[in-house]
Amino acid sequence: MRIAARIRSWLSAILHRPRTEREMDAELRFHLESRAEDLVRAGLPREEALRRARIEFGAIESTKEECREARGSNLLESLMQDLRFGLRMLRKSPGFTAVAVLTLALGIGANTAIFSVVYDVLLRPLPYAHPEQLVCLYQSKLQDGMKMTGSSYLDLEEWRGHNQVFSELAGAQRHDLTLTGRGDPSVVDTVVLTPEAFSLLQEKPLAGRTFLPEDGNKGAAPVVILSESLWRERFGADPGVVGTSVNLDQRSFTIIGVMPADFRVPLFTERQQIWIPLAQDPLFGGWMPRRGGHWLRVMGRLKPDVSLAQAQAEMDGLSARLAQEYPDVNAGWSVRVTPLQQILVGNVKTALLVLLGAVGLVLLLACVNIANLLLARATSRAREVALRQALGAAHGRILRQLLTESALLGSLGAVAGILLAYWGVHALGAFLPPELPQFNPIRVDAWVLCFALLLSLAASLVFGLAPALLASRSSTHTNLQEGASRSGEGGGRRRARRVLAAVEIALAVVLIVAAGLLARSFLSLTSVNPGFNPERVLKAEVSLPQYQYSTPQQWTAFSSALLERVQAQPGLRDSALAVPLPLADGYVNLGFSIPGAPPLPPGTPATADYVSVSPEYFRVLGIPLLRGRAFTPADAPSTPRVAVISEAFAQMYFPNQDPVGKHLVFGFPPNTNVTREIVGIVGDVRDVGLQQEPGPMMYVPFAQEPFWGGAVVTKTTLAPSTAFSEIRQVVQGIDKNLPVTDAGRFSDAIATTVAQPRFRAWLLGLFGVVALLLATAGIFGVISYSVSCRTQEFGVRIALGATPRAIRGMVLRESLRLAAFGLAAGILASLALAQFLKSQLYGVGVRDPLTFVATAILLLAVALAAGYIPARRATRVDPLVALRYE
Amino acid sequence: MDKQLDLLQGTLDMLILKAVSLGPLHGYGVLLRILQISKDRLEIQQGSLYPALYRLEHQGWIESEWGESENKRKAKYYRLTAAGKRRLQSEMEKWNAMADIIAGILGARPEET
Repeated sequence: MRIAARIRSWLSAILHRPRTEREMDAELRFHLESRAEDLVRAGLPREEALRRARIEFGAIESTKEECREARGSNLLESLMQDLRFGLRMLRKSPGFTAVAVLTLALGIGANTAIFSVVYDVLLRPLPYAHPEQLVCLYQSKLQDGMKMTGSSYLDLEEWRGHNQVFSELAGAQRHDLTLTGRGDPSVVDTVVLTPEAFSLLQEKPLAGRTFLPEDGNKGAAPVVILSESLWRERFGADPGVVGTSVNLDQRSFTIIGVMPADFRVPLFTERQQIWIPLAQDPLFGGWMPRRGGHWLRVMGRLKPDVSLAQAQAEMDGLSARLAQEYPDVNAGWSVRVTPLQQILVGNVKTALLVLLGAVGLVLLLACVNIANLLLARATSRAREVALRQALGAAHGRILRQLLTESALLGSLGAVAGILLAYWGVHALGAFLPPELPQFNPIRVDAWVLCFALLLSLAASLVFGLAPALLASRSSTHTNLQEGASRSGEGGGRRRARRVLAAVEIALAVVLIVAAGLLARSFLSLTSVNPGFNPERVLKAEVSLPQYQYSTPQQWTAFSSALLERVQAQPGLRDSALAVPLPLADGYVNLGFSIPGAPPLPPGTPATADYVSVSPEYFRVLGIPLLRGRAFTPADAPSTPRVAVISEAFAQMYFPNQDPVGKHLVFGFPPNTNVTREIVGIVGDVRDVGLQQEPGPMMYVPFAQEPFWGGAVVTKTTLAPSTAFSEIRQVVQGIDKNLPVTDAGRFSDAIATTVAQPRFRAWLLGLFGVVALLLATAGIFGVISYSVSCRTQEFGVRIALGATPRAIRGMVLRESLRLAAFGLAAGILASLALAQFLKSQLYGVGVRDPLTFVATAILLLAVALAAGYIPARRATRVDPLVALRYE
Repeated sequence: MDKQLDLLQGTLDMLILKAVSLGPLHGYGVLLRILQISKDRLEIQQGSLYPALYRLEHQGWIESEWGESENKRKAKYYRLTAAGKRRLQSEMEKWNAMADIIAGILGARPEET
């Protein structure tokens, strides 16, 4: 055994194939010519000598082939041969090839598209240096039901000063400011942060600099950093922008830098246009010296080699110390250190994995379908295979050739699928719910391509192996026999095809059940009564620059002028002001106390959602007044403080009592607590999310608790654009520098809150339809083949007097039997798998009988339909023709 | 040339190795040398010569090199390697042993069986 020599000759055969071929030709030519010369010497004319030499040598091509084989290059050679043959076979049956490639392309394309989303959201490392070191710090006070809240600035300062585990800690919050000075006034998405955020993230500016620690000091000159997109849109990509100034909320800020387009502070998924130091923010700047309060989001970077557990232990110690030092604000609060990636991915993880699972099932279904097609083809090729076996082809060789054909199909499918994925990713991008924490536009990149290729390889094996094994294993003898007779299909293959068709039905059932459950859940989500009527209600937001409008008196004056003038417009009489709006805005949850009431049992937090509204609010939104009175214009800053509570509030905190006339103590911001008299009870409203049961709510009159902005809601029959331009005119009639933002139908704003469930239901619905089509094709294929095999039998039966009805019944029964098996298996599988959907469902159980029954009926109907055409063909069999077949 | 014989499996390889052991040869030369040594009694089938040469080279028993032939043409010459020499030796021993046995069997007389 001279391994080295073998490898050398094999390698040179592969690497220098053209050269070895040339050499072989030269060698054989030399032989022929030498022989011819000898013959010439023996007296033959030259032409005749050459001819004789060639005849003596024999078949030169087969000699070459043997030489190639002897040289050890036959693996590659035969692969090329198989490929050529495979291509020829695929070209010979374009219909089969098109169907198979299309099916695969659908499967691979859908998988690749979904995987690219999953990869981008769940797997791709965050685009920061050493992303594994980035963590979030959230506070919790479990005994009061407070989870994952922010921190106060003073807490952050304590942590920064006394820990050994973080190389940096920084806090941030969002707050939108009004940009004026260049062009129309507009509201810009602002992130306010402690200056260390930039050094923590280790990001470099495109131009200028990032914040220095002294920019965060109270009294420092106001500075701002722009995003590349704002710099391009609003400043025309002016290279001299650094050093100039802009007005934010009517206050001048110096631009010190521009951050590249893909930069953002990872704590927020929303758009970020500018960044300013926390100390400069008109709202949060004032909250910095306040102990207590949980408004600042905190992120940190672990020192190299510090584990999450070590950081957690350090923070446990620190919060225990702070709880002792400041028992009134810090007692009971704990800090949780969580990897940033985990926080960002949070609630979309399960949803995405469900999608990935579903799309995986679609691919499996596609594979089974192709396996079925291949089996049908293997039947018609049984004679070809048998002939090759009879001529001495080894099992392995035939298996290899059939698998090469599958791989060829797989690669064609992959190419088409990747094209489909490119397109699908774009479509998905437009479809994706906005809260997906994606950093870059989702795209098909090298990793995703690798995934697609691996997938198609695996798919080719899955759909190619079973038919190939069946084809190469079956005995030559029976195949030749079967080939000779009309029946064509061996028992093994026939059984295999039925099993595959049943598997297809089962897979389709799983997908359709999942789609049905999600669709039902989405329907029950959108048909839920939010407690108010958003129909024909428009909303628009106005926020006041806080340097110019700095006192509550100014806010009140502005808002009453605004409402008065808006309501004076024809068609806008039913207008109100509120902050925040249910569902459309965030919600504000505040603690409160009931003077004189016995202490609540531990574990029941005394918190309720807080809304400040103008008197018309309940009428405009159709929130019913249940007891007492609503607010009136008489509830003014000068009159006693009043509040209206929701029904849930009354039931939870005033069981078996009449709350009207009782008192509550609360305030916003939380330390401005005052006593208010409850004057009325209104119906419950879902303000957090449609899927969330309404919690206790408390309303205050806007005039008594004004805010530096709010939403105008108006119930009107005017066209939205007309209404908005009127509102804009009114606002700018009061102050020409004020922008009106977020104008739209209230119902649209609510619809965006259910974008994710809608997206999921649609996507799974799409998968379900594809699955149904594939399964239908599967049943149809199996049944029509079975009918064509039994032509003779039907002929005999008809000749013996069977009615068309009876024949049809026989075929349909076969189809239904198939469907019943698949259905049973699919329903069992769905019952097992539906658990994974549990967290994704609202208002419908994982074993929702309606969904399961509807799926069963649908599939039986499809099985009947798919069986009907072959059944009709069976009844039309002409007994004479059928019998003559033999 | 009608002296082609059916050779026993493996015999062709041995004959080629032997021919080449006497000095480097090109393919046609191998053919001629065997013909010559056998005094024109054995002619190798031309079609099976080259696959055999390639096989032997692939197994490392002979190696090849391009050179110039007696009629001033480029030709591929084969020579025996060290491994080939050992192989030829063991093949010859096996062949001789086998030939002895077969000769013994064929030379047996009726009463001895």
